[in-house]
Amino acid sequence: MHEMAVALEICRIAEDQAGRAGAGRVVTVGVEVGDQSGVEISSLEFCLEELLRQPPFRRAKPVIARPPGDVLRVSYLEVDDDGPDD
Amino acid sequence: MTVRTIDVRERVMAKNDELAVGVRRRLADAGVVSFNLVSSPGSGKTLLLERTLADLGEELGISVVTGDVQTQNDADRLARHTDRLVQAVVTNGACHLDARQVGVALDAIDLERTRLLFIENVGNLVCPASWDLGEDAKIVLFSVTEGEDKPLKYPKMFQQARYAVLSKLDLLPHVPFSVERAVEFARRVNPELQFFFTSSLLPDGLEEWYGFLRSQVRRRQAA
Repeated sequence: MHEMAVALEICRIAEDQAGRAGAGRVVTVGVEVGDQSGVEISSLEFCLEELLRQPPFRRAKPVIARPPGDVLRVSYLEVDDDGPDD
Repeated sequence: MTVRTIDVRERVMAKNDELAVGVRRRLADAGVVSFNLVSSPGSGKTLLLERTLADLGEELGISVVTGDVQTQNDADRLARHTDRLVQAVVTNGACHLDARQVGVALDAIDLERTRLLFIENVGNLVCPASWDLGEDAKIVLFSVTEGEDKPLKYPKMFQQARYAVLSKLDLLPHVPFSVERAVEFARRVNPELQFFFTSSLLPDGLEEWYGFLRSQVRRRQAA
């Protein structure tokens, strides 16, 4: 459940940042989850895959990096400005 | 397909932490000392607060925000011991309180009449460690009916806490629990942790705890 709350916040940030950048379809959401962050990776990945399959993302994929420390942030987005909306 | 990369570098907790800064400022401006009480379910948070409210509620101007996944049973229990509003936050499945919920709960609380605020978090030793609520300090409870190695199993919570309450000491004769080992394990993950040894059922089981709360409120009033 904690991971779902984290995943929802990641999606909120991704949607907000993609909107600000005037981006088309989000292809990839790059996330850094430190090994001391207290977040369970497989659970977070599961939540993100589910959420990124739904609108407004539809077919985006999470890419999770695992640096040392307690960092927990959205590091980058890959967006396709030509891509069809569906 | 033209793919471009947008640099984001936004912390997942940034929004919560921004709201927590607002809560902290609001409480500081009102001269309120605030503690975020965290533990596993059943460690005795609510009973500790019941006794504390009954004995010191008026003297120290104590208000409480409770968080539970479902029901407002804890708030109902606490409300019997105070004429102040006990504000219940029902998280509807979420495993922790966040700063937004606490900010909304504070709107209902009379901060003018409050000098000490307890936020009783959802019973959970994992997730609440990640959410800053704007409190002055986290206080982690664990009881002698739990394993001595709780601090080793849940290190982040014990690292985040400034104070620890070891509860249910009245049950010590009946359980195989070494206080010494529990303290050693806790200090291994957080050498600065300050301990209180309590029993909410014994008449004099909370004296040290009460002394601490009085000194915290006095210090804030003098500041």
